[in-house]
Amino acid sequence: MSFEVIKPGLETSVQDWPGRYGYWNQGFPPSGPMDSWSFRLANLLVGNPVGAAALECQYMGPTLRFDRETLFAVTGADMQPTLDGVPVPLWESVLAQPGQVLAMAFAKLGTRAYIALAGGIEVAPWLGSRATFHKAGIGGMEGKAIKAGQTVPVGAAPAAAKPGRQVKPEARPVIATDRRWEIEVVAGPNDDWIDAAGHERFLSTDWKLSGKSDRTGFRLDGPEWSFTEKAKNKAPEHGSLPSNIIDQGYPLGAINLAGQTPIILVNDGPSMGGFINPYTVPQAAFWKLGQSKPGEFYRFKAVSVTEAQSMARALSAICTDTAITG
Amino acid sequence: MIYPEPRFLPGGDRYILVEFGNEMNLELNFLAQGLAAAIAEARIKGVIETAPCFASMLVHYEPELIGFDDLTTELSRLVAGLGPSDALELESRLWYFPAVYLDPWTRACVDDYIAKIAPKTPDWDLMVELNGLRDTDHFVRLHSGTEYWVASLGFWPGLPFMMALDPRAKMTAPKYNPPRTWTPAGAIGLGGASTSIYPEALPGGYQIFARTPVPIWDRTQRFAAFDGSICLFKPGDRVRFVPCSVEEFETIEREVADGTYEYNMVGYGKFSVSLYNKWTASLNAGRVS
Repeated sequence: MSFEVIKPGLETSVQDWPGRYGYWNQGFPPSGPMDSWSFRLANLLVGNPVGAAALECQYMGPTLRFDRETLFAVTGADMQPTLDGVPVPLWESVLAQPGQVLAMAFAKLGTRAYIALAGGIEVAPWLGSRATFHKAGIGGMEGKAIKAGQTVPVGAAPAAAKPGRQVKPEARPVIATDRRWEIEVVAGPNDDWIDAAGHERFLSTDWKLSGKSDRTGFRLDGPEWSFTEKAKNKAPEHGSLPSNIIDQGYPLGAINLAGQTPIILVNDGPSMGGFINPYTVPQAAFWKLGQSKPGEFYRFKAVSVTEAQSMARALSAICTDTAITG
Repeated sequence: MIYPEPRFLPGGDRYILVEFGNEMNLELNFLAQGLAAAIAEARIKGVIETAPCFASMLVHYEPELIGFDDLTTELSRLVAGLGPSDALELESRLWYFPAVYLDPWTRACVDDYIAKIAPKTPDWDLMVELNGLRDTDHFVRLHSGTEYWVASLGFWPGLPFMMALDPRAKMTAPKYNPPRTWTPAGAIGLGGASTSIYPEALPGGYQIFARTPVPIWDRTQRFAAFDGSICLFKPGDRVRFVPCSVEEFETIEREVADGTYEYNMVGYGKFSVSLYNKWTASLNAGRVS
């Protein structure tokens, strides 16, 4: 089974969840879907394991033609999908007939939509994952976003696959309509480089998501940071700026302070570098990053490590078959 | 300084940064790599991967399998078991890389930068000037006369951050400002105190002065030396550059292209930190002339 790419959309890529683990010490990030909540639900709708390879669409979705009968589901951002011109509901499994065309447009609400197909996308895995890592050109379809004219292979549909299955309304992520997001953060690893005023400013500011953001990092516009003595009086090998530190490993989700500009390191982010990370966005809050748009605002809310881990557990508990009816 | 006890710093819900100290010192990297090896050996349930860096190490864990407090307890126990860094013996492969120094390709790249972006002293002349060397021959002999220690990989997948193991060959250089928009694949450069090889044609900021035809990054996975990965190096590897001619470079380039190139790796040695420390302590301060 397969589908043909008629129009690729904007940087539509094959991703799986949780992505490429195990190669961080060689510099490979996990990649994977930015909104793993919507991604996992899309897979459940079509009877796949939650992590099966599917498409991540950004801002504008693709147009695809199915070669044979295919069960699919679209979740996440509303890109107004149609099947042969007839609107397709989000959060529901739909059966396409051979030759039918799924077309997506611009995201009306949210930023990233997911298209899962029963059987999952069956491109060859690279280093244990099918997730696309554009920067290094590995995974997915030839290491890059899908292109017009490509034929993308799909596995055999599992027995559980049937149309008309829906995600219960209470199990769906709620995408903000007022352009404002509350994003949880955990202090650390380098929170002791920022002074009390700097922390206070960070947590009380509406940070604007910059247009210079991609799957590597989300840049934020906002006020200046201020530092403790640790940042100001240090050995020269740390570097010349207050936010410079001897190169260190970066956690995924780190709020990386490049000079005065905070950059949230997301799924395709760097594994190390010479800037401090005063806060880290926990995994369970990533879906909000994935669904926000440049120009929208983040307000950060400090949570403990334990609270952040409970959030992840709660999210995993939602992303099971109990979320599905029909 | 090296901290009496490492610091365990949280990075969100699934990472811990283990900080051993706050200076650029091979000792701290040995500790980070020693702990990474001890973690791999102990097979702690819930540890997904580790990434050693210069003075610290990142641990990625699955909180559903082990909590933050339990993991830091485990890690403290392993650190205590390591003892002083002197007691460490690390697995360490030694790689020989043919390299043309002062080669035509990096020359062309530097000329292009000077013509289009900003004037600067050519990189090899700058290395001579800043490090008090006699001439470029002296620089080449010094740079190719030491083993390099792969302290960490990052910035780009597979890009090694390497430190000269012979303190007499230690050199420093500032980074390009503004950075270069391109660098030939295989270029060898130095920035701060770290030497690197560019795995692909990439932008960059290191001073560049040599080029190797041997890939350290291979999407086609044709070479057994890569051990199933797409990039060659692992932390704790050692590298030695062996000067070669442009003609040899081209011969090796052809062997690489047709897949017959044999990587030159020596895999029987362990790196003993105590022997290394004893040796460095025995050296007279100063340069190899």
